[in-house]
Amino acid sequence: MEWVGLFLLLLVGLGIVLTGLPAVIVLFSVASLGAVIGVLTDTIPVALLTALPSRLINLLENDLLQALPLYVTLGLLLDRLPVADSLYRSGVAILPRRASAPLFSGMLLGALLGPMNGSVGASVIGLSRVVAPRLTAQGVPAATRDAVIAVASTLGVLVPPSLVLILLSDAMLGAHTIAVTATGRNDRVINTLDIFRSALVPAAILLALFLALSWIAGRSRSVAAPRTPLARRELLLALVSFVFLIALLGGVAAGYFYAVEAAALGAFALLCGGILSGVLTFRVLRALLADAIAMSGALFSLLLAATSLTLILRLLGTDRLVNNLVAAIPGGDSAAVIVVLGVIALCAFVLDAFEIIFVIIPIVIPPLLIRVADARWVAVLVLLTLQASFLLPPFGYALMIMRGVAKNPAPFRNFLRALVPFLVVQWLVLMLVLAAPQLVHIGEDQKAITRAPAKPFSDEDFKNALPPLSDPADQ
Amino acid sequence: MAFVRTLDRLIGRIIDAGAWLALPLMFLLFLQWPLRDLFHGYSREANDLGQLIFALYVAMSVTAATRAGTHLAADLLAQRYTARARGRLKKAGILIGLLPWALFVLIGGRQIVMSSLAVLEGFPDTFNPGYFIIKLALWLMAILILAQIVVDLSRPEPAEPR
Repeated sequence: MEWVGLFLLLLVGLGIVLTGLPAVIVLFSVASLGAVIGVLTDTIPVALLTALPSRLINLLENDLLQALPLYVTLGLLLDRLPVADSLYRSGVAILPRRASAPLFSGMLLGALLGPMNGSVGASVIGLSRVVAPRLTAQGVPAATRDAVIAVASTLGVLVPPSLVLILLSDAMLGAHTIAVTATGRNDRVINTLDIFRSALVPAAILLALFLALSWIAGRSRSVAAPRTPLARRELLLALVSFVFLIALLGGVAAGYFYAVEAAALGAFALLCGGILSGVLTFRVLRALLADAIAMSGALFSLLLAATSLTLILRLLGTDRLVNNLVAAIPGGDSAAVIVVLGVIALCAFVLDAFEIIFVIIPIVIPPLLIRVADARWVAVLVLLTLQASFLLPPFGYALMIMRGVAKNPAPFRNFLRALVPFLVVQWLVLMLVLAAPQLVHIGEDQKAITRAPAKPFSDEDFKNALPPLSDPADQ
Repeated sequence: MAFVRTLDRLIGRIIDAGAWLALPLMFLLFLQWPLRDLFHGYSREANDLGQLIFALYVAMSVTAATRAGTHLAADLLAQRYTARARGRLKKAGILIGLLPWALFVLIGGRQIVMSSLAVLEGFPDTFNPGYFIIKLALWLMAILILAQIVVDLSRPEPAEPR
């Protein structure tokens, strides 16, 4: 019956694309179908299904997931308050007076606000509101404008402490725990901070290259960006926001406070600023909080539905089938990683990053980590793949949202042409990290590095590695 | 239909009230850091209280997303379907997916919730009171989802444009 699980996953993809129904309803429907098939064929004892409520309660008390509504609220606050606008205008004012300055400043703003902004969707909407009209006014071609905004909106995926990074960390923690238990390695299970730190160098390389590309993209214009006068109050707001954001990002990366606390601190500071400045009136705040609970609910219900489906898949034995398939991939560690990343990239055509993190990662990453010991390396590669998936034409999430919110969108072909250099750079960085795993271990405590198993893992070891996941004791 | 309208209003009010929980959640989780690093106390209490609020917030957020239509969907193909076809697909999805799931959570979670409620279970690590509220939030979530299903299924089918 394990093959039924793969059929169910296929059904999820088809259901999402063909019905247009919310992914959460498709996932619940497919999970229900799987449960009925499992019970009718005596593969799943009904008693095992009662594990579901306990699993859902685990989600309700998960410390890390508390960051979810905080980041969503933070993103909405950033969108409502003039912080992004002041930062962008100050960036243009400080940079040399060249035609490239607005594009460069827009990309920098994406990197600065992206991690704080909740989601790629929120970043696209925020940057489109703040940056797009100014780039248009300064004569930047629509295709270049849209490409830079779409790319800048995805930077938050890789720069800590973003929401995608936090949710992936949680999924990786679960996957690594399974792998460490199964193989008997004496590794410390990776946590959110490990993944934050591992992603720093690849994120810095990617950001530097994207900034260089933005500068080059702007050079084709001969007209220098006109400077609009900047009020002292606006400059002060930009300076305070910049220092605060850097302190917040640095504090998390250095381990002074947890990502949840950083999100709470950022949201609380913005809330106080908004109320004191009079921007956040009761009415505005009420509308903002209504948006926050609705957006948080969209993400959380996806997590509930994915938890239900993955339980059914495990009870059907699909996880063991995936283990065997991963074990059968010929070649070394890199070959296995490339195949699994390829599967994730393929899923990105029909699933967005959150759906991939909740549904696909818990199935494909545990067997990969049993085979490949370096969990930090795998985590960063998955992050890079997820970031690329947001920009994957034609259905990439950032591209779709960008096309949806742009006032005067460029023809799709021109948009793609402007996007190509960024995509090439992104895939080059992905290949660089694939070829040089040490990039994610710079400055790392050697004792904390995940080690390879003491003796090579045989196929038989691998097949027997995972605990019997359909065992009631596991639930 | 008066019952459905009342139910719809009631759900709306519960969610409107629940949306404000984001503020104490934000405040409590922000407080954790100074309480832990500066005052060296009460940070676990702030965390426990934050967990209770988070569970209640999440329990209401699922229905809030349904009502606001913010669930993620890829309707590139489906936007070509007629309004009636989309309405029927939605009702089918609710009947096949959401309804059995919410019923199962409500019935299957009975023992866990009731046994926790019977002893007013506290937090296992800190012994602070109120842990049963997290389990009760599971029921709140399922009840709100079921109530919203009643409202959604009672809505008339959208008329076809002429």
